[in-house]
Amino acid sequence: MDTTVIGDGTAGGMSAVAAPAATAQAGPRESVGARKDYHALNAMLNMYDCDGRIQFGKDREAVRQYFLQHVNPNTVVFPTLKEKIDHLIENDYYEEAPIRHYAWPFVEDLYRRAYAYKHRFRTFLGAFKYYTSYTLKTFDGSRYLERYEDRVVATALYLGAGDEALAARLVDDMMTGRFQPATPTFLNAGKAQRGELVSCFLLRVEDNMESIGRGINSALQLSKRGGGVALLLTNLRERGAPIKKIENQASGVVPVMKLLEDSFSYANQLGARQGAGAVYLHAHHPDIMRFLDTKRENADEKIRIKTLSLGVVVPDITFELAKRNEDMHLFSPYDVEREYGKPLADLSVSEHYDDMVANPRIRKTALSAREFFKTVAELQFESGYPYLLFEDTVNRANPVPGWINMSNLCSEILQVNTPSTYDAALGYETVGRDVSCNLGSLNIAAAMASPDLGATVETAVRALTSVSDQSDIGAVPSVARGNDLSHAIGLGQMNLHGYLASQRIHYGSEEGVDFTDMYFYTVAYHALRASNRIATERGTAFDGFAGSAYADGSYFDKYTDRTWEPATARVRDLFAEAGIHLPTRDDWRELKRSVQAHGIYNQYLQAVPPTGSISYINDATASIHPVAAKVEIRKEGKLGRVYYPAPHLDDDNAEYFQDAYEIGAEKIIDTYAAATQHVDQGLSCTLFFRDTATTRDLNRAQIHAWRKGIKTLYYIRLRQEALEGTEIENCLSCTL
Amino acid sequence: MTTTPAPLTEVSVTPPSYRHDPLARLRPVNWNRVTDEKDLEVWNRLTANFWLPEKVPLSNDVSAWQQRLSPEERTLTMRVFTGLTMLDTVQATVGEIVQIQDARTEHEEAVYTNIAFMQAVHARSYSSVFSTLATTPEIDAAYRWAVDNDVLQQRCKTVLAHYYGDDPLKRKVASTLLSSLLLYAGFYLPLHFSTHALLTNTADMIRLILRDKAVHGYYSGYKYQRGLEKLTKAGQDEMREFTDALLDELYELELQYSGELYEPLGLMDDVAVFVRYNANKALMNLGHPTRFGATETEVNPEILAALSPGADENHDFFSGSGSSYVMGKAEDTADDDWDF
Repeated sequence: MDTTVIGDGTAGGMSAVAAPAATAQAGPRESVGARKDYHALNAMLNMYDCDGRIQFGKDREAVRQYFLQHVNPNTVVFPTLKEKIDHLIENDYYEEAPIRHYAWPFVEDLYRRAYAYKHRFRTFLGAFKYYTSYTLKTFDGSRYLERYEDRVVATALYLGAGDEALAARLVDDMMTGRFQPATPTFLNAGKAQRGELVSCFLLRVEDNMESIGRGINSALQLSKRGGGVALLLTNLRERGAPIKKIENQASGVVPVMKLLEDSFSYANQLGARQGAGAVYLHAHHPDIMRFLDTKRENADEKIRIKTLSLGVVVPDITFELAKRNEDMHLFSPYDVEREYGKPLADLSVSEHYDDMVANPRIRKTALSAREFFKTVAELQFESGYPYLLFEDTVNRANPVPGWINMSNLCSEILQVNTPSTYDAALGYETVGRDVSCNLGSLNIAAAMASPDLGATVETAVRALTSVSDQSDIGAVPSVARGNDLSHAIGLGQMNLHGYLASQRIHYGSEEGVDFTDMYFYTVAYHALRASNRIATERGTAFDGFAGSAYADGSYFDKYTDRTWEPATARVRDLFAEAGIHLPTRDDWRELKRSVQAHGIYNQYLQAVPPTGSISYINDATASIHPVAAKVEIRKEGKLGRVYYPAPHLDDDNAEYFQDAYEIGAEKIIDTYAAATQHVDQGLSCTLFFRDTATTRDLNRAQIHAWRKGIKTLYYIRLRQEALEGTEIENCLSCTL
Repeated sequence: MTTTPAPLTEVSVTPPSYRHDPLARLRPVNWNRVTDEKDLEVWNRLTANFWLPEKVPLSNDVSAWQQRLSPEERTLTMRVFTGLTMLDTVQATVGEIVQIQDARTEHEEAVYTNIAFMQAVHARSYSSVFSTLATTPEIDAAYRWAVDNDVLQQRCKTVLAHYYGDDPLKRKVASTLLSSLLLYAGFYLPLHFSTHALLTNTADMIRLILRDKAVHGYYSGYKYQRGLEKLTKAGQDEMREFTDALLDELYELELQYSGELYEPLGLMDDVAVFVRYNANKALMNLGHPTRFGATETEVNPEILAALSPGADENHDFFSGSGSSYVMGKAEDTADDDWDF
């Protein structure tokens, strides 16, 4: 069996995998002449009806037609569940072990339990996305072998790992939409031909050829398994640095980026999209401007980077230099490593800045700090990149010993790492710690309706922990070791805007920010308590717990020093009506005692990803940012162009669905800031601008974000309005 | 006593007028004195929208091209794109250039040089698709097909005759009809493909082209209307008749040309509707009443919805570069921005 797996186009950047045949379309592909009614019906969402209303009914009809014309005729039907499961196991579609962990009557009950929810897709995109990218298909890609309920049960059985109660709770939480595992998990769990269940990987690269070579190899290996991979380039010596003491030999970070870009394209060349990778560089690395210029519209082909994502690590000192309108010095990593005995990426540049400037043995160049920020904004206009990581903010908030120097493809993973060393044949001399993270998100509206929010959070934490426990990335030992020692997970959230609008609260309003604060506050408590329970049950905490802010109790200070409660009556009512108990200072004190006594199992617990694909399937607004449009025009490699009505939107509540461009950067940042203080890792925070904005507007938003304690900034998205007189009549997208 | 000197625009001409009056004083273009704000608005939009085909990761479409398109579909795509290349070549080398001399303002002259260049970029971009997806013999065959195809030739020559004629407004009519009625039939195919998740990066590029074309067609139509206002009633009627007649002629040619291409794949009914829809669009740009009724121009919704020139598509960054990014406007930050 060919075990090559193929990357899947998940928007969240939680790159995913499909079994070999899964990219083929189910059913013989119709000729291009075939008019598919459901596509046309779906497209009508983008056009008003005669009375100027959004045609929601057409999309519901599109779902119906999609099932009638396409899904139902192409689904394999088995006489009994037993025959179906036996067939799938015998024919290498399902792994046998996850099912055999359980007694058969329980499995049957679990399927019955799932089907009793009578799940229906609310939108065409949800159904289309599910059947195109997630469901199990015959190896020739022509028939469907699973319905939505089957995927949920297979996932629950796998993650339950023999624990009947957990598997049953997972079915409930997934069928109600409260918990949605990230794409790699939901797509792969239980399948025999599959990629990894982990979403993303972060790798260090050190300043030697062995580490660069190993980095490229790891990027290939991990892309093949379907993960998004980010690499840290900060430690690489700059262009013109000496090699073997001979000056002007090194060629800097750009050629390495080129190699990585091509590697990612290759690793997924069978898929409908290329592999996805990101590289991070420190703002004070001498190659920083060359790094940014790779995204220029008119860059030479030899240095132009089209598909690799870029991130820049910015310390506080850069902001302070810009404030004083001074030059920022860039430091040779080659010299820094020799002077300090450790690489640039493991030092706080803010702390050592004056020393490094004063040290004549460190080569340095300078450029205007404000010019640097302006260039960043210019590039964001042209390409949406780079992401920004605010290094000192991130490390101040990090409860775990070590230094955080990079993030991942979606800028929400923030974990410590340590370097590996290699021999000349690329074998490991010392295996360092690199980062992997598996993700899953709660649907805030569904979670607020949960009979027990704490239990829902705990189920999610246990499910994510199960992915960590069952993952062993042998191809990259530093990742496997990092996972073994840390059991890090990333519990995310989505549907914030949908929930707020359904309660007739404006996104970014005082009540909106207040709700965000209290919701994340509550989740943080339950997530920590769940991890503490796991540590207690197993009698083991993550490696390094003893040196953490959890162990010395300082993490809890902010929750025990003062009372956290809603600032507005409306939000107090929302939690009261939902029957949700807000943790008190006593609750926190009790939790602190238990954590100090037994530890927590997971080194990191929360990370809020952008949730592209899974939010469509789950019928949620993506992540915690505002909707991009009332009717979003979604374009992906595997889907084509599809239209998606905002969840909870109806004819009466449109005013609460202002889009992200109307809401503006400030309210988005304020909302994220409220959430950030309760999240141990990061949150993918996209900012949205109209094309009338200037680089100064972007810079001001970045300054605001940094001041408000935002940890990372993800893409900049731009929207250009059609020139007056060139719009398409009746077209929703032109008039909204 | 001093006298106020006569305005520069009265005592001098712009360079294209040299051929009428070699003795007249020449003046450089002055963007500090804009007489028609539309010129500046369109110039700003066009420059902000500048792009090159190298921006688009077309190679991501290779697998769809090789594994999912049938040989007939590939041939159709090659021919449709070669046909588009022909039209953009006509526009880049003649159609837009000849309108420079007819400009009503000196800034309009500048705008047309930009439009002409972008038409050349469009013509160039189809070649990027070819060289990424197809082999040299296939490409050569498509170009041979274009040269040998009588209807394709006739479409271009009908328009060219008016470009080289003596009436500035007829040039505008011919150009507007080409940009709308003739061109869009070619865009039907990639838009249709992209709805079905085929060649989506090529479709991104086509949307960049569409973004430009929407502005070009609108601008020529606008300038035409400014010219038409200056005519007598009889002159205006004559232009309407001319427009109707040329539209009929091109419409017939287009149905014949597109029919040959699209008929074998069963797409022609939809394409014909689309051609009529765009014929109406051209007439609207020219300020004329539309020709075809609502029922004859009901475009397949999936195509119509994909047409909007606003850059509001929410693309997934990992499978393409999208069509919404523009050249940013740089502005220095001031001290109070850094007030923390």
